[in-house]
Amino acid sequence: MAITEETAMEHKNSFAITCCRFEEGTIIGPSNIEDPNIIPDLEDSGLLDIPQNCLKIGEVLGAKLKKTVDALTPLTEELVEGINKMEENKEAKDEEIEEVKEEPQEIKKQSKLQIANSSGNIKIHIGEGKDINIEIPYLITNNNMMQDNNVAQDVNKIENEREEEKTTKIYEDKEIRKLKRKYFKIEEVKFGSETKIEGKTLYIRKDICKEAISKEELVVDMKLDIITPNRYNEFSNTIMDVQPIATKEEGELGEGITRVIDGVVMMVTGTDENSVQIGEFGSSEGIMEENIMWNRPGSPEKGEIFIKTDVMIKEGKNMERPGPMAAHKVTDYITQEIRDALKKASEDLVIKTEEYVQKRRPNKKKIVIVKEIMGQGAMHDNYILPQEPVGVLGAKANVDLGNVPIVVSPLQVLDGCIHALTCIGPASKETSRHYFREPLVLEAMMDEELDLAAVVFVGSPQANSEKFYVSKLLGMTVEAMDIDGAIVTTEGFGNNHVDFASHIEEIGRRGISVVGMTFAAVQGQLVVGNKYMNAMVDNNKSEDGIENEILSNNCLCKEDAIRAIYMLKAEMAGEKILSPDRKYSSEVKLNNIDLIEKGTGNKIELVKNEGSLKLEEK
Amino acid sequence: MEVKIPLKQHIGMASTPIVKIGDEIMKGQLIAIPNGLGANIHSSVYGKIVEINSTRVSIEVYENQPDDYMKIEPKNTRLELVEGAGIVGAGGAGFPTHVKLNTKLEDGYVIMNAAECEPELNHNMERIMKDPHLLMRGLKYAMEITNANKGYIAIKPKNKRPLIELGKAIKGEKNIEIKFLPDMYPAGDERVIIREILGIKLKPGQLPIEARTVVLNVETLKNIALAIEDRRPVITKDITVTGRVKEAEKVFLDVPIGMPVKYYIKKCGGYTEPYGEILLGGPFTGKSGDEYSPITKMTGGILVSMPFPSDKRKFGLIGCECGAQIDRLKEIVEGMGGEVVATTNCKRMIDVGGRFRCEEPGVCPGQAEKVIGLKKNGADVILVGTCET
Repeated sequence: MAITEETAMEHKNSFAITCCRFEEGTIIGPSNIEDPNIIPDLEDSGLLDIPQNCLKIGEVLGAKLKKTVDALTPLTEELVEGINKMEENKEAKDEEIEEVKEEPQEIKKQSKLQIANSSGNIKIHIGEGKDINIEIPYLITNNNMMQDNNVAQDVNKIENEREEEKTTKIYEDKEIRKLKRKYFKIEEVKFGSETKIEGKTLYIRKDICKEAISKEELVVDMKLDIITPNRYNEFSNTIMDVQPIATKEEGELGEGITRVIDGVVMMVTGTDENSVQIGEFGSSEGIMEENIMWNRPGSPEKGEIFIKTDVMIKEGKNMERPGPMAAHKVTDYITQEIRDALKKASEDLVIKTEEYVQKRRPNKKKIVIVKEIMGQGAMHDNYILPQEPVGVLGAKANVDLGNVPIVVSPLQVLDGCIHALTCIGPASKETSRHYFREPLVLEAMMDEELDLAAVVFVGSPQANSEKFYVSKLLGMTVEAMDIDGAIVTTEGFGNNHVDFASHIEEIGRRGISVVGMTFAAVQGQLVVGNKYMNAMVDNNKSEDGIENEILSNNCLCKEDAIRAIYMLKAEMAGEKILSPDRKYSSEVKLNNIDLIEKGTGNKIELVKNEGSLKLEEK
Repeated sequence: MEVKIPLKQHIGMASTPIVKIGDEIMKGQLIAIPNGLGANIHSSVYGKIVEINSTRVSIEVYENQPDDYMKIEPKNTRLELVEGAGIVGAGGAGFPTHVKLNTKLEDGYVIMNAAECEPELNHNMERIMKDPHLLMRGLKYAMEITNANKGYIAIKPKNKRPLIELGKAIKGEKNIEIKFLPDMYPAGDERVIIREILGIKLKPGQLPIEARTVVLNVETLKNIALAIEDRRPVITKDITVTGRVKEAEKVFLDVPIGMPVKYYIKKCGGYTEPYGEILLGGPFTGKSGDEYSPITKMTGGILVSMPFPSDKRKFGLIGCECGAQIDRLKEIVEGMGGEVVATTNCKRMIDVGGRFRCEEPGVCPGQAEKVIGLKKNGADVILVGTCET
């Protein structure tokens, strides 16, 4: 299709191909030129072969066609007269540089003086290693006020006072709230007459299963199993979720003190009565040690004990909303009893504590993390803000909330405000434990160069019209936050990329720097795009760039979080992010990691992929 | 709910029902057979026959509608499968496809008509995006049946994404090629396609076969592939709903035949007031219908138009083959409250065996002589059918 003037200028160094048939004598304008963005697809499909002497868009604009040409003709000197000789400008040279998808160049030390009077203030930004921001009211423009001297004087007086206040006040980091985690080490899990913690042993009441099953109508049966490392080689039905066992000791979720069991996780697995796995588009059933990518934020650590429920729900209910929910609720009935025991456990058993402090850093770039979560219903749902970490009670499902954007604090995320109903595409889906250890939230919150304002969750609805609906609301939410940058993440791939792209567009068009994070690689290639999607981080870890149905394999890890943060910093500093080659290559990632390591002097440890597991033939 | 399945969804005679009132039938079951030139008709739903008359069979639709359908009987040849499946030209003409394919095109061509000729319609392009490989196989089956040694895909280059999908699907196929059509109406007319792609000008009334060519619509090829591979009869149709509805240009793929048009207008959020008549087909060749008109094997577009403006003057009419013909123009004048005082046909129209045909579709001439003639007969104003856009 024809392109706009704007696109033509942006792509003046791209090949000039006609979009339709044009007659001899036509003066070539943007409306005669094919969109450079689809040229690679045309080449792939064999419809187009670009000769070496093909002219560039900048060379043919305004020139005249010497012959009538058909659609998709590469324009060459034989076909065009009056070619513009383009000077070998800087941009043309830029193209010769190896292009990478993500290039967070080292942020150069800035000592720029930026003046902006849009808000009636002069902003002076002096950044020399440590950034210092001084904001002074900008009075010179208040000419209108001079018409009424009294008012003007009063205003001046007030403004002057404020000026003093502001200039003398040093913006300091402000502590908002704290979250303390106390860890209780459990080395053995046993069945017993009551649920309790004694030393490093957790006892689970023998008869708890029957009671739990009776609470949920859709649950036909449930087996409770304790998987110790020597049983990792056994078969399991698809893993629907991995959850920490944690409970509030003091304060509400997101602040105060949380007790966490160390060394044991809850694992929800299940099928329906006909042995159909409760999953869609891939499931992770099989030998556990071949289907779990250890040590991901959302997966178990190798060596941990799993308290594994194997839930059987009514026939055919696996794809209906209440089915998977029942499997989670019935599991949580057991977890809740363990939480209650954990509350009673003796303080002496605490083996370590961690403290997370949420700070606002008013003189730093203000950013927000937007996490797109599944909201199509059935198993694609999330319980938001339960009373207990990753609990069910008190939470509302984001599908019921209409998938609209919801603002939470980073500490609420890390304290388990998301209970994920995560049954599809296990390699790229975020489990409940993932949120409890969310690396991007951790990295951004601790980064002293950034002011992390909030985390926004937005559901991904089924219908396209609803996708744009939530996306528009997200746009307004971030607009009201007055932020400099945003990182948008998503889980899974395909359908949800429609709203993922739209979120990035809504944020980008408000002049906010934005970085996107997703699994894409080979199998999850983006189906849609827009001009704000120029800074993207690929979460892929798999060798072949595919959804390999290995739990958490392609989920967001610390190394991805670091890349995204540096990319956002580069964007906010006005650096150019180069575009990648068309074909997916892990080189891009390694190159960026290398750049960041060189820039910061810090080594980034990369996680292993499925190559480290014994692979099962699926 | 009822579906009303017309007995004439093709060129030729109405088919003859072979079911009785009260019969319980399955989706895909044969319910009418041809009576001379025509095609088999199958039920698009599971249900019970509640009415049979000379024009249609009405079926009360059961609530439970499994995806499965009754397959057509196995046959010895592919051509027989096409016949058994009741395939007719899905582009709107409704010519029985097994008749069209029953030919030998030594050194000839099969052309996939992917012109999506009428403006505003988009269901062919969506089908291409969805099933490019299936369509390509349909084209190859049609080539095999007719012994054609070359296949062309005729498409407008403005449809880049579908074009790319087809390009990928035919990659490596030596005897299939994509050819571009100009972005004009009636680029999808068989004679225009042959003129543009093979450079052969057929005279009005001459059939493509005289250029050793068979032209088949995208959806017809889809039906051919499904009949051969899955023994699936034609029980659904792709449509575009557009015009004065809340969500215009909406495509519905695989709509059960016999469903009332109203159902899909509702699915587009209902009418935008004020609205006028409902046209079945595209803006150029659409025929006036109503909310209860059933979807047929030939339905492509459902177009909700503007109300007619009011004009009570005396009208002269110039009819066209590709655009509005005299009957249609009369309907419009009546709708406006005017009076028809004189009619004639465009000077390109030639009488071929009782049917007017255009000498050169898409290249419309001046009409001075016709205009003077109409004025002489008392016309104050002239309404012209045309196809040049």
